[in-house]
Amino acid sequence: MRILLVDDEVAIQRAVGPLLRSRGYEVDVAGTGAEALALFENRTPDLIVLDLGLPDLEGTEVCRRIRAKSQVPIIVLSARSAERDKVNALDLGADDYVTKPFGPEELLARIRVALRRVGSEEAADTGVLQAGSLTIDYDRRRVVRDGTEIRLTPKEFELLSLLARNHDKVLTHRAILKSVWGPNAVEQPEHLWTLVAQLRKKLEPDPANPRFLLSEPWVGYRFVTET
Amino acid sequence: MKRRNWWRVAAALAALAVVTGVLRWLAVSNAATVSTSYLMVVLVVAATSRLLVAVVTSIAAMLCLNFFFLPPIHNFSIADPQNWVALFAFLAVSLVASNLSAVAQARTEEAMGRRDELARLFDLSRDVLMMTDSPEALAVLARSVARRFDLDFVAVAMPHAGDWSVFEAGAGHVDLERRELTNALASAQASLEFDAQARTYAGHRTMTVDGRDIRLVPLRVGTKPIGILAAAGRPVEAGTLDALAGVVAIAIERAQFLEERKASELTRQSDQLKTALLASLGHDLRTPLTAIRVAASNIVAPGVTSDDRAGQSELILTEVERLTRLFENTLEMARIDVGAVAAESRWAHPSEIVAAARDQVEHTLAAHKVTVSIEQDEPVRLDPRLTASALAHLLENAGQYTPAGSEIDVHVRMSGEGLVLAVRDHGPGIAQADLPHVFERFYRGASAKARASGTGMGLWIVRGLLAVEQGRVWAENCPDGGARFTIVVPAAMKEVS
Repeated sequence: MRILLVDDEVAIQRAVGPLLRSRGYEVDVAGTGAEALALFENRTPDLIVLDLGLPDLEGTEVCRRIRAKSQVPIIVLSARSAERDKVNALDLGADDYVTKPFGPEELLARIRVALRRVGSEEAADTGVLQAGSLTIDYDRRRVVRDGTEIRLTPKEFELLSLLARNHDKVLTHRAILKSVWGPNAVEQPEHLWTLVAQLRKKLEPDPANPRFLLSEPWVGYRFVTET
Repeated sequence: MKRRNWWRVAAALAALAVVTGVLRWLAVSNAATVSTSYLMVVLVVAATSRLLVAVVTSIAAMLCLNFFFLPPIHNFSIADPQNWVALFAFLAVSLVASNLSAVAQARTEEAMGRRDELARLFDLSRDVLMMTDSPEALAVLARSVARRFDLDFVAVAMPHAGDWSVFEAGAGHVDLERRELTNALASAQASLEFDAQARTYAGHRTMTVDGRDIRLVPLRVGTKPIGILAAAGRPVEAGTLDALAGVVAIAIERAQFLEERKASELTRQSDQLKTALLASLGHDLRTPLTAIRVAASNIVAPGVTSDDRAGQSELILTEVERLTRLFENTLEMARIDVGAVAAESRWAHPSEIVAAARDQVEHTLAAHKVTVSIEQDEPVRLDPRLTASALAHLLENAGQYTPAGSEIDVHVRMSGEGLVLAVRDHGPGIAQADLPHVFERFYRGASAKARASGTGMGLWIVRGLLAVEQGRVWAENCPDGGARFTIVVPAAMKEVS
């Protein structure tokens, strides 16, 4: 597996590079956006770790250009103050984000999930998703948990299947609203809050501590398969 | 009676004499013709003079009528009762006419007086609008009132923390009795009564100090009294005083409003500063913390190659150094902010100062080639600690904003102004747009923002340190590329014996 690490901070390059190599990944390092785009073309990495604060190009711009050519997983590194950039990057197709300062395990876990997602997508597009005790049958629009069918309204099913088809990936509020309610609804998150609450009540064994439908504070939601 | 009125009386009597002479010469004896002629003189006098002059003229005319024209002539007695009636009718008509004329005149005068006072009020309002929010605003206000209304003494008194702040203007100082002011304000607060006759809100008081009558008028915003206006000198009508007090009250309110706005502006600026500090710290803490955390786990993690592992502890040291510097800068900035930095002069060699400065930023300069030239290394008297610290910040700045491997020149010499230390780099120079702002706190140039290191504190600290040392610092771009920062610290040299 080859990972492209894009960060202009030498300290991050020198710390994260060895970390990734120690887990058996091959690592290419880029300090600028231009360098990152060039290495992406030449080395075809399996995953990109992208810092948003680059000296030459906006990180979001790098994200957009790569996404225009490839579905390679992109994990964004961001500072908490750059909340807006992070959401923009996710809207532009980044798969996940890690906020600085982060620990090594946090980054490694995100990388594992993103790589696995690609694998499962390529392996099977059978129309059925199995996540722990939960089975989602997209074709027959049926959801079963522990052998019991759960009845969902059409909207609830639409939301669930959107999140489940992008399982383990963060979907921003904006992206979900646009997909489920249409482009006019992107400024009305109340719809989403209500529907997520309803869905959790039906889906989750304990709606107060969701296992499948996780909130990413201020950013969006993520459907996790690994419970 | 005033002198001018005596002249008027004399003129009126002369006119009567002339009329009498003419009538006699024409041998007019008809009482109606004669009294109409006299009435004409009385009316002319009444229209141009005071009531008293007109009354004197009326009586004189009546006597003339009686003496010269009503039989028996040349005698004050009257034979025909009809003539008694004519005589008194004449007197009554001329008195009434005089009175009417006097009332009309008084109205005109009053109107002119009002116009004058309105003009004064207008001028005062203009002064008030031009008033700035200086601390002397109220004293300026009192002076404006005194000047515009030609008053000998004006004081604006405001209650302030249990006592009175009094702003005086005009010729001479008057000791206003504080108790009197307090009473006046208390009574104005206790009751509000509009005196329709005097067109004034009741509550005016008069106090006598050294034989001068001083009028105290409550200053009201709306109906709420906020202070007292004291005035002495030219008599000013009560209604006008009220209007005047109203303008002064508005002016005071405006001054207070401006002051409050300034205070809130200061608060806002200080809030902005805090936000900028937090943003800067947040940004600059994150990278070293992440690097240290990951590198520390790399040291013990299995699977890290020995080559990689070797670099990790050095990386941690570098990043800890960076955090330490950030911490020191923040502390130094806080010390400058609260004025806790003081210069302590002693004798030191310029070479020591340069060496101390390089020591402080060794890590940042590790990748640069630094050359030092010192024209004469004689001891100078200054604060070597602050000077070295300022130089260190300049070196650090040069190291951060120029490419690794580039040269940095330090040049030291003495000038008439003191010790001159110049740091010249061979980087991209300072963008023209950034040049005026480089010493502002947290200012980072457009190109600097893209770089991760740098807090926008260093050059501000240099400025602060130099201010403590009474020195100065400036930045410029060299004609052949690169930026140069120069500091001058006032310093004495040992007498060459």
